[in-house]
Amino acid sequence: MDTGLVIQYVVIALAVLASAGVVMKKQFPGATRRLRIAMALPLLREGRPAWLRGIGRVVAPAGMAQGGGASRSDACGGCSNCD
Amino acid sequence: MSTAAVSPLRLALVGNPNCGKTALFNQLTGSRQKVANYAGVTVERKEGRLVTPSGRSYALLDLPGAYSLNPSSLDEAITRDLCRGFYPGEAAPDVLVCVVDATNLRLHLRFALEVRELGRPMVVALNMADVARRRGIRIDRAALEEALGVPVVETVAVHHNGAKELVARIEALGDAPQAPTARLPAAAGDGQDATEALHAETRRLLSLAVEMPSRTARIDDVLDRWLLHPVAGLLVLAVLMFLIFQAVYAWATPMMDAIDASTAWVGEWVAGALPEGPLSSLLVDGIIAGVGGVVVFLPQILILFAFILALEESGYLPRAAFLLDRMMAAAGLSGRSFIPLLSSFACAIPGIMATRSIQDPRDRLATIMVAPLMTCSARLPVYALLIGAFIPAQKVGWFNLQGLVLFGLYMGGIVSALAVSWVMKRWRRDKSEHPLMLELPSYRIPHPRDLLIGLYERGMIFLRRVGGIILALTILLWFLLSFPAAPADATMPAIDYSFAGRIGHAMTAIFAPVGFNWQICIALIPGLAAREVVVSSLATVYALSAANDDAASQALTPLIADGWSLATALSLLVWFIYAPQCISTLATIRRETNSWKQVGINAGYLFALAYLMSLLTYQVAVALGAG
Repeated sequence: MDTGLVIQYVVIALAVLASAGVVMKKQFPGATRRLRIAMALPLLREGRPAWLRGIGRVVAPAGMAQGGGASRSDACGGCSNCD
Repeated sequence: MSTAAVSPLRLALVGNPNCGKTALFNQLTGSRQKVANYAGVTVERKEGRLVTPSGRSYALLDLPGAYSLNPSSLDEAITRDLCRGFYPGEAAPDVLVCVVDATNLRLHLRFALEVRELGRPMVVALNMADVARRRGIRIDRAALEEALGVPVVETVAVHHNGAKELVARIEALGDAPQAPTARLPAAAGDGQDATEALHAETRRLLSLAVEMPSRTARIDDVLDRWLLHPVAGLLVLAVLMFLIFQAVYAWATPMMDAIDASTAWVGEWVAGALPEGPLSSLLVDGIIAGVGGVVVFLPQILILFAFILALEESGYLPRAAFLLDRMMAAAGLSGRSFIPLLSSFACAIPGIMATRSIQDPRDRLATIMVAPLMTCSARLPVYALLIGAFIPAQKVGWFNLQGLVLFGLYMGGIVSALAVSWVMKRWRRDKSEHPLMLELPSYRIPHPRDLLIGLYERGMIFLRRVGGIILALTILLWFLLSFPAAPADATMPAIDYSFAGRIGHAMTAIFAPVGFNWQICIALIPGLAAREVVVSSLATVYALSAANDDAASQALTPLIADGWSLATALSLLVWFIYAPQCISTLATIRRETNSWKQVGINAGYLFALAYLMSLLTYQVAVALGAG
């Protein structure tokens, strides 16, 4: 497989993953939040290296770091029509 | 330093429904919350920031309108709780800005007096002071201020700088605003005594400070004589709705053609610029074909909403609610259901949330159940695609046939909603009816700024959906339609071996009786997230199924016109009148009713209705030779 084709597949994979993330976040905000918390907690534990904790902070939903609740568009399932 | 010293003062806009609180909120904070000329638009608290010319900052709350601090609906309860400091997690506001409609002081001053009894610092904003002056209503502001014992200022919420004086008075209150000292004579009493005292004090204030002309609303009276007439009024309403749908087709075509041509040009350019491969396919067959297929319907959506917004602003819509009340009551709905159902034409979600203004829980549930039957704007692209492909663009008498069909589809949704609520009424034990109490606002010429803001908002909502959920689903669908690749010894087109192709073929076992092919079946799945995605999904499916590049670059409309029978198209149109698939709507029903049972009933009955009606349509059409 030539390099050009590999790059194309990498771009497609990233686009598909990002799209799946958008759909999950918009349609299942509660489940997405729980999933992100479950993924972030092991990474944020005491004793983890700084770079791993950094990834954990990125994965964690905003409310977890700031202590706030879900945003308004997340509240109803997120058709974005009321934003 | 204490927290109180650094926290900005919290102001709350309170008042009767439709007195201009949200317009004032928008004016003061620069925000763009929805405003309209009818009661019950705001059903939740909204917060913004007011920064005065001197640089001082205030937190400003916009509260739902209330006729009294003794609430009779959920939204009124929010206002009561917030004003009294009982709202969970929120302290009482430091200053209450009581907005009163200067053209209707008899009603609005009563609420202002109730608010004053709370004993919190307050300012009264005499809103729509310009309209009152034009009608010959003379208000002695200084006398009213003295009699009320609180600052009174004139505001014109819809004019730039119309709240300048209010801002100055708020600033003049300083850091420790004074509570009003005046009280109602019978403030200690309650029930009948307190109500009597309120009425008496209102009459006293009116006699002291307000001089009414002999006829305050001659134009309103003349218009109402016709527009509220049981026969002529209904006729005007029907003609208005009919003309709106005619305009949607007659006016949108040039813009739609331009968008269509631009999309095709971009597709060709990208296909020429990129080497052939999966990335080119994703961009051309997936994103450009799919998203472009949806964007093309933006002009029709804007035209439809231009009319709806103009009607909202004019004050006609509550009259329409009044006209339809008898019909709605016969079908088991209340006249108060009209505004939530009307909101559902934009999207069922704000419509369902707007049911909070319905006091009776039974009426509220009935309205929630039928709200998804109102044709939301997301269904318009699907209708427009199918009508454009199968209904000839010809005139029937003076009318455009395509516009007539669109009108029929919208009416189909309305009639179905009435039929469903009628059946619900027959089933339930409590058959009592609730009289409609509705405040009819004065007629108003729609303000161009509000109309433009409203249209801009609708356009942005649509484009945000296109750039967000619709784009994401289109990419996912392209992936599922492109992988895995066909085996070396493939005998069928490659798409038939893809994940989505296999799912689509499996689904035809259920949907073949209603005339849906596997391409339609596939499009129904992402349509669960956003109904417009059905169009982009069909565009992607057909672009990937095309035998060659020329076929792939064809617009979707001629492709489905050649590939589907009329019976299939009619069946799909009927399916979308009921369109049971919208996850966000179901999530909102769950939140508003706090019941999974109601979600199940709603999804179940809509699916059953959609399937049965499509089956009937398809089988009858085939029997008549349209298959």
